[in-house]
Amino acid sequence: MTTNPSQARPPAPPTAVTKTPEPSTLDVSVGPQHPGSGHCRILIRVDGDYIVSADPDIGYVHRGCEKIAEYRNYVSNIPHLERPNIADAIHLNWAYVLPIEELQGIDVPPRGRYIATIAAEMNRIMSHLYWMAIMAGVFSGHTTAFMWGFGDRDLFIELAEMLTGARLTYSFLPPGGPRRDLPYGFEHRLTKLLDYFEKRLPEYDRIFFSNPLLVARTKDVGILKREEAMKLGVVGPVLRGSGVKNDVRKMEPYGAFADLDFEIPTFEEGDSYSRFRVRFEEMKQSVSILRQALQNIPKGPIARKAPLAVPEGEATGRVESSRGEIAYMVMSDNSDKPYRVKIMNGSFRNLIALPFLLRNVHVADMPIIYGSLDYWPVEADR
Amino acid sequence: MAQIALSREETLINQLKTRFPQEIKETKIDRARRVTVTFEKDQVLDIAKFMRDELGFDHVKGVAGVDYPAHKKLEVLYFIASYSKPEIQDIIVILKTELPRDNPVVNSVVSIWPSAHFHERETFEMFGVKFEGHPDLRKLLTLDNWEGPPPMLKDIKFPEMGQR
Amino acid sequence: MSAETLQDFAGVWIGKMSEVVRAITGSGPIKYLINWSRMYSLWPVHITTACCSAEFGAMMGPRLDPERFGMQAVAGSLRQCDLLIVEGTVTKKMAKRLKVVYEQMAKPRYVVAMGDCACSGGLFHDSYSIVNDVHKLFPVDVYVPGCPPRPEALLSAIVKLREKIRREEVFA
Repeated sequence: MTTNPSQARPPAPPTAVTKTPEPSTLDVSVGPQHPGSGHCRILIRVDGDYIVSADPDIGYVHRGCEKIAEYRNYVSNIPHLERPNIADAIHLNWAYVLPIEELQGIDVPPRGRYIATIAAEMNRIMSHLYWMAIMAGVFSGHTTAFMWGFGDRDLFIELAEMLTGARLTYSFLPPGGPRRDLPYGFEHRLTKLLDYFEKRLPEYDRIFFSNPLLVARTKDVGILKREEAMKLGVVGPVLRGSGVKNDVRKMEPYGAFADLDFEIPTFEEGDSYSRFRVRFEEMKQSVSILRQALQNIPKGPIARKAPLAVPEGEATGRVESSRGEIAYMVMSDNSDKPYRVKIMNGSFRNLIALPFLLRNVHVADMPIIYGSLDYWPVEADR
Repeated sequence: MAQIALSREETLINQLKTRFPQEIKETKIDRARRVTVTFEKDQVLDIAKFMRDELGFDHVKGVAGVDYPAHKKLEVLYFIASYSKPEIQDIIVILKTELPRDNPVVNSVVSIWPSAHFHERETFEMFGVKFEGHPDLRKLLTLDNWEGPPPMLKDIKFPEMGQR
Repeated sequence: MSAETLQDFAGVWIGKMSEVVRAITGSGPIKYLINWSRMYSLWPVHITTACCSAEFGAMMGPRLDPERFGMQAVAGSLRQCDLLIVEGTVTKKMAKRLKVVYEQMAKPRYVVAMGDCACSGGLFHDSYSIVNDVHKLFPVDVYVPGCPPRPEALLSAIVKLREKIRREEVFA
């Protein structure tokens, strides 16, 4: 069917968002057991087939990471601070050690920064493939893209295993630089994998991102305009899908990003489809970054030794992860355990967009909007 | 390390100091792109309005609480940044204010920065800080299983924590 | 014959009949058939508790393909699922709901505790908001250690579970 999608959708009735339940509405709990990533409960108020308002109820995976961080020393904190977003663990790790290195006055040598960049961009591709698989298979019923996403993601996981020794939870960046150098044969295998992956990306485009059914479901759904996005403080692909060109890799270059040449994909419409395309284009940019990093990686030491104790002070460091900007504030009191660790991550900051977007939409649009925000409850709950 | 010009950060501090001479207690430039400003808690709404309207800082990255039981105070930190003005969009301003530990009450900035909604709810739950004027101040992450005190305070020690 | 003698006679006869039915279906080829059909169609509940779910998703992918064992995540309703895989940390807030999920599943139902956090608390064992032992909530059939366990480890746990189903009694 090639009807114009905006004409085929009847307009929503003009219902105001109020606190008191009107007699014709019904409260439905999209409960903590639902397919999709992690536990998040959304209490929606429906009027027929339209959602009038939504109220997120989170905290089902709240494990108290910030409190635990005060009881373990700085290096022992790395494994449990990288678990919140296990599909993207290098970025959480890196954002945690950046303020520690700043407080200790350590400069990571260039080769170490390039290795961390390579691991981080591989992680970005893995996380976007996981998003694509869950978005396709679970939220929109496209099981082929589910299988393809997980199949190709496993190839990247094998390479990460070769580099760091673990599939998902690397703990690869202690303060001072990466733990290991690139093993023998890694460049060759990564180059072969990137050649294969670049041939796959147009196939993903044909089967999933340009699929007319998916386009009809996502175009003009959940529109977040530019001013609203800036006022709500959203981050990551949600922000870039609404027309704001903002990326920590360009604003405050860390790692090797100051020497590498890449673009930041931005789309103007602000609907779910533009958020999808932002992630797809980011995968292409990551492939190009990886190729450049492999070519230009300098020789030399990879890490400096860091002392166990951190001098007194307070620092904030941030990186751009696949879900948005992650900032860690570390406050230290001259011992080997932090005084306070504050985590500000992309999923928690994007949460405010969920009740904002779920107003006067069909119930069937809810999984699309929820999936396009790429909300990972384990990360938001910490 | 090469010296980066800190002119934007210094302009920012000068503008704040001229506008609020008494209320701003202390300012510090930690490094490039990080400015810390400590102020009196009663002026939080005025300072927030000035920062949003005149200086162009339009969103809150996070609201953190820090507990100092030895000094009997609770600090609340606001991490502010800007998306709309490209020339200052990489600066993070950390606004700090001190509250007495036995009665931590401060005005809510949600009316000025709507992005602080969930952050203030979390600080309320974890540290017990009451934000007056918040439209929906209830617990966020430990809603129905936690009847105890705010868990992040330093003197709330859980006996099993830190045991090996 | 009076009504009571008829009732007693009927009760005894029905009791004997049900014993005979149990004896026939609980042994021999029918038991083999019932257990075979149970172990070849384990449908897991769509629940992704915490970070181990990334490896659960990887196991359901094309590399290991549990669909050849009949395990596909197709059922939307809990009443049609047989297998509850608890992946990752169970917080106190979630423990109440997990118990409800377990009780809503129709018998026979099996539980796999995946990951160190579900087995015994794991990395977050001293947190204030988690439940350390999942077997306090419901009986667990297979424990899979690891943080997170490899997808191959999870699949071998599923194979062990199928072995357990093959040997178990029909009327437990």
